[in-house]
Amino acid sequence: MRATFPHLLHLDIVLGILYPTLGVEIVPPPPITSRTIEIGVEHAPQNACFPLKVTLGNFVEGIERGADTVFMAGGVGPCRFGYYGQIQKIILEDLGYDVQFVLIDHPRFGWRPFFQALKTMAGGRFSFPRVKKAVSLAWKALVFTEELETQRRALRCQVVNRAELDMVIDGALQSLRKVESGSEFERIKKEAWSDLSALERKKENNFLKVGIVGEIYIAQETRINFQVEKLLGDLGVYVHNSVSTAQYVLNTFPVLKSKEKLEAWELARPYLKRFVGGEGIDTVGSTIRYAQEGFDGVVHLYPFTCMPEIVAKSVLTQVSRDFDLPVLHLAIDEHAGEAGLVTRVEAFVDVLERRRKYWKKAEGE
Amino acid sequence: MKVGIPRGLLFYRFYFFWKTFLEELGAEVITSPPTSRYIVQKGLTYGIEEICFPVKVFLGHVLALVDRVDLLFVPRMVSFYPGEYNCPKILGLPDIVRNLFHLSPEQIIDEEINARNRGMREAEMGLIRLGERFTSNRRKIAQALQKAEKVHREYRQQLQSGVLPETLIDGKQSLLPKEEKVLLLGHTYLLNDSYINMNVIEKINQLGYSIVTPDMVPEDRIRLFLKKVPKPSFWTISNEILGTALSYLKERDPKVKGLVHLVSFECGPDSLVGELIGRWVKKEEQSLPYLRLEIDEHTGEAGLVTRLEAFVDMMRWRDSNLESHFSPFAAS
Ligand code: SF4
Ligand code: SF4
Repeated sequence: MRATFPHLLHLDIVLGILYPTLGVEIVPPPPITSRTIEIGVEHAPQNACFPLKVTLGNFVEGIERGADTVFMAGGVGPCRFGYYGQIQKIILEDLGYDVQFVLIDHPRFGWRPFFQALKTMAGGRFSFPRVKKAVSLAWKALVFTEELETQRRALRCQVVNRAELDMVIDGALQSLRKVESGSEFERIKKEAWSDLSALERKKENNFLKVGIVGEIYIAQETRINFQVEKLLGDLGVYVHNSVSTAQYVLNTFPVLKSKEKLEAWELARPYLKRFVGGEGIDTVGSTIRYAQEGFDGVVHLYPFTCMPEIVAKSVLTQVSRDFDLPVLHLAIDEHAGEAGLVTRVEAFVDVLERRRKYWKKAEGE
Repeated sequence: MKVGIPRGLLFYRFYFFWKTFLEELGAEVITSPPTSRYIVQKGLTYGIEEICFPVKVFLGHVLALVDRVDLLFVPRMVSFYPGEYNCPKILGLPDIVRNLFHLSPEQIIDEEINARNRGMREAEMGLIRLGERFTSNRRKIAQALQKAEKVHREYRQQLQSGVLPETLIDGKQSLLPKEEKVLLLGHTYLLNDSYINMNVIEKINQLGYSIVTPDMVPEDRIRLFLKKVPKPSFWTISNEILGTALSYLKERDPKVKGLVHLVSFECGPDSLVGELIGRWVKKEEQSLPYLRLEIDEHTGEAGLVTRLEAFVDMMRWRDSNLESHFSPFAAS
């Protein structure tokens, strides 16, 4: 079995750590390029949400690289994600690819298929201690990749030499790909932290602060969202992203719902009373949290026609007014152009700067 | 107390239920007028640009009511079938309305109706909570509920027998019965609002066909065929569309000559469900002609007519080909 899977930022690194230990050969799809998107767009339903198309492109490119199996996750609704696999499976079949489509779905749809999928994904031989060790290292790696990206966002505006910052972080990510033991992992981590703290910082420290909210895939996948975070950082903005895959994984288990998440939901309540699928309610709650924490603005990233985010957007107008917090909505799909997006982000940062100046003046008087 | 029911989204499914329930509780029910150009225009200005057309229309109806009533009726219809959901936008509908029209909690009925986890009992709990806005007399609420359920059952039965919702609600003239039929699929708010679907039912009728909609197919049958789908969708109406489509593909009714699927452009569920049906149709032998019609504020009537006419030609052509193929007199 040679299995491929969808990209989501550094998921390939994480699975790369997990899988050799399990005895399943994985074939990561090549990095997302415009070809990936073209393939997805050509074969996916025209009005499907963008992540379905890109991940379909991943599958096709993974199969071209020699994969004979596709790993995908399912879901329980109410949004489309849980149905992606069903559609992608039939599309791959119709395209004539003879691959096994392993869909790990919620036990709600039957414990047997759940365990069967788990078993296939874990290399057929289900040995608990082995799985546990591999999972624990992979989990640590996932959390670490996210911490690295958090640093990248926060430090971009602060360091004197941005290229150096990228070098440290990309270097750490690269060495993670080869990690085999826990001690090695700790060493990489320690090194990365010390390298980061050694970077030369600018003197000033009153940067504009922008928070990122939105749908989990678009808000994180830099190869799809035109690297909005990098762009903001280059414009001298301190960036924080409220979306995290590790949190997402934890939150699929009701008992593990994080305090942060519950708080965000509570904050959202006056505007959006309940979960509406995807990240809709998190988008609203996190926006309010950013307002309370004194951020200058929020960038809302989501796929065009994304249902929960459209609900969120419908109520964010009011949130933005009530908290006097500018929100920039960026809908991304195959038609989104980089030039237009850059102009909008620049104009947004401009507005935030002018607001700062205005307030300074007002306070001075 | 005046309670306003906007004529949109699940209105065509639950109107009689809601109206009876509210009236039994002592409310005066006001319904927004049938969809018109004015209502659509208003909806377009209130709804954010990317939201689906049916929600925009709904917002237009809200606007038509908001100054005329004490309470707006926008219950949160999370689920009306055990184990399933409605679409995320319907889940968030009361919040969308509340925020866009700046309504206070006293101005909107937004109780959650949810049969997903614990079935109809749970949904009834929501209705009882809703009833408590009008009376603290639990018995009265229970009676209102019973009566509403009865009226609803009768309504659904009439739909099963082929009567159209607009005939029952507005006394619209019913259609001429025709020998041949077209299976018309789509969300209830697209199929049953003749303004937004540009009279598609009448047009099909004038072209010589009666229609069958999911409302006219027995629920058991829909659910039976739905079981054949490896994993049904999460959305009740989409599932009814899937089950209906499959039932007519697998057990052909010789009178049904083709499938027309009304979808709305920005609709999430339709984008996936439409694709599935399209692919099923292609895989069938001697399949039925299938037409997907996108309905939104930009759809032009002329284009719709052209496409319908071309579709009718296709159904006729297929029929005559099949006939010559199977006719005992055809050369073998
Ligand atoms: S949350 Fe958005 S992107 Fe994800 S499945 Fe739903 S509509 Fe698609
Ligand atoms: S099901 Fe489709 S048309 Fe209906 S509210 Fe949801 S997105 Fe809109």
